[in-house]
Amino acid sequence: MDTLDQMRKGTTTLAILKLLVDTGASMHGYQLARALESRSQGSFQFKEGLIYPRLHQMEQEGLLQSEWEGEQGSRRRKIYWPTAEGRHRLAEELQQWRAFSLGMDQLLGLGG
Amino acid sequence: MTIDDLLQQLQPRLGLEAEAEHEVLEEIRGHLEEAVATACARGLGEAQALQEAATAFGLEEAAVELRRTHAGRGTLEGVTAAALPVLFTLVLRWLIFAPDGAAGAWREMLSRWALVVVATVAILAPLLCFPRRRYALALWIFFWGLTLVSVVGPVLHW
Repeated sequence: MDTLDQMRKGTTTLAILKLLVDTGASMHGYQLARALESRSQGSFQFKEGLIYPRLHQMEQEGLLQSEWEGEQGSRRRKIYWPTAEGRHRLAEELQQWRAFSLGMDQLLGLGG
Repeated sequence: MTIDDLLQQLQPRLGLEAEAEHEVLEEIRGHLEEAVATACARGLGEAQALQEAATAFGLEEAAVELRRTHAGRGTLEGVTAAALPVLFTLVLRWLIFAPDGAAGAWREMLSRWALVVVATVAILAPLLCFPRRRYALALWIFFWGLTLVSVVGPVLHW
């Protein structure tokens, strides 16, 4: 696993929550995978199937809620949206990310 | 190769309980259908589109991670569903019977708010807590049956 992969893995929860909160829409796994890739302009590339374990994990942690859309027998999609706890976690993680990013910039002399 | 074939290959690798497995496979089916439709709209043939969708999905990696994410959840729910009624039964028995086992004042106890609250929580808890409600409810009914027999039986000299 290269450095970018490791960073992506550590920030997937943050990226999913931010995307869902920013768009204000509930989304299914395929939409989320596509949106993450397009929003990062291709730098957030990963095996799309890996988004599901993460979504299920986030649901178990109470960060997301989900429901099935569509009738039985037709094309059905499980859509996800953030809970209040998810929004709270997003605010926390964004704050941590800003502090970390600022610290790293200073450490690496990229602060300008 | 079809989406059904892919899902059939994936199924044994998930190692999930039937209900969770059904949901996960339905979700993956939806994803693959979307991906194939998108690829076809770009001009790919059905077979090529499916091949591309399966590669982008990463079935192997996803199966490993899904198995890890759901590991033990069904078991945990089952154990909790079985343990909670026993716990509530013990509390109810303690409220009805004196510590020495005598049920001398059981009629008075039945009108106490504490008993009503515990009994109500005991009855409603599985409906609120468990995603697998039918399973929890069936267990609940079974244990409540046992509780009623054990509490009411001695009083009525069965």
